[in-house]
Amino acid sequence: MSGRGATGPDAIGALQAALAAEHAAVYGYGVVGANLTGSARATATADWVNHQVARDRLEALLRSRGAQPVAAAVGYQLPVTVRTPAEATALAVIIEDRVATAYLGLVAVTATALRRFGAVQVQAAALRAAAWRGSTVAFPGLTASALAAPRRA
Amino acid sequence: MAAHPTRRVVLAAAATLPLAAASGCDGVDVLAAPPRPAPDVGQLRAAISAEQLMVARYAAVLASATGAVAAALRPLLAEHQAHLAQLRSRLIVPAGSPTPPPRPPAGRPAVPSAPGAAVAFLREAEQAAAAALLGRLPQAPASLAQLFASIAASEATHVPVLGAVAGQ
Repeated sequence: MSGRGATGPDAIGALQAALAAEHAAVYGYGVVGANLTGSARATATADWVNHQVARDRLEALLRSRGAQPVAAAVGYQLPVTVRTPAEATALAVIIEDRVATAYLGLVAVTATALRRFGAVQVQAAALRAAAWRGSTVAFPGLTASALAAPRRA
Repeated sequence: MAAHPTRRVVLAAAATLPLAAASGCDGVDVLAAPPRPAPDVGQLRAAISAEQLMVARYAAVLASATGAVAAALRPLLAEHQAHLAQLRSRLIVPAGSPTPPPRPPAGRPAVPSAPGAAVAFLREAEQAAAAALLGRLPQAPASLAQLFASIAASEATHVPVLGAVAGQ
């Protein structure tokens, strides 16, 4: 590990990336919820609120470090077309996988408290993703390339 | 797409060399001092041992599980086996190292014989395993910390699955 500072540019960058993912999640869950009914819609609403809380926490963490939090985009291009409940569920899975990946970036910073916060958020995203997916995965948030890259020279 | 794909591959490979050398985990300089275990090796070994224990526990419960319980447990066991394989792939043991790679525990671990108690036992074991991995985050290098956090998240998702199985 290098001697990066606890609140160095790596921590700010990782916090901003997580915040950008949460902004996208808040937008995306609006679309998810609009295409669901009943208990699925209630779940989407609860998850939407959780992402708003996480967004606010990230903004506070950035401000406490003297950084200006990134703003949400006016609109987002959705990765899938959403017209049915099944498509809404698929979008929720994609959102949570991306959020988990963004928080894994926070786990890589040197500040212990931020690492733990990132890891707890990876768990929360993995739990929501598993609920939408109806099954679990071995490596939430980790991409195939991250798993395939051995540390050998 | 790329104009010189071969050259790009060579450049990419060369670019990784200084990083690998700087990490000091498996240098190729035969004149250098004998490699010392990296500070993260202990964390990795402990995580491998814990994952081996989880695999053995699932196998022990599955040995007598049937029907819906067995069907629910098998994918979870497969994920633990994937965790174990990925953790092992990160462990580089120098030739002649005094400490061999962690070996699976001999014999079958003790698990409750009643199906409901066995599932509840696995559920508690998952919670403890996830918590233990989070406890390893401060000392782990960045890439290993990310792997630990991802595995801990996977184990956390097993908890509600096992809770649903126990409630059947």
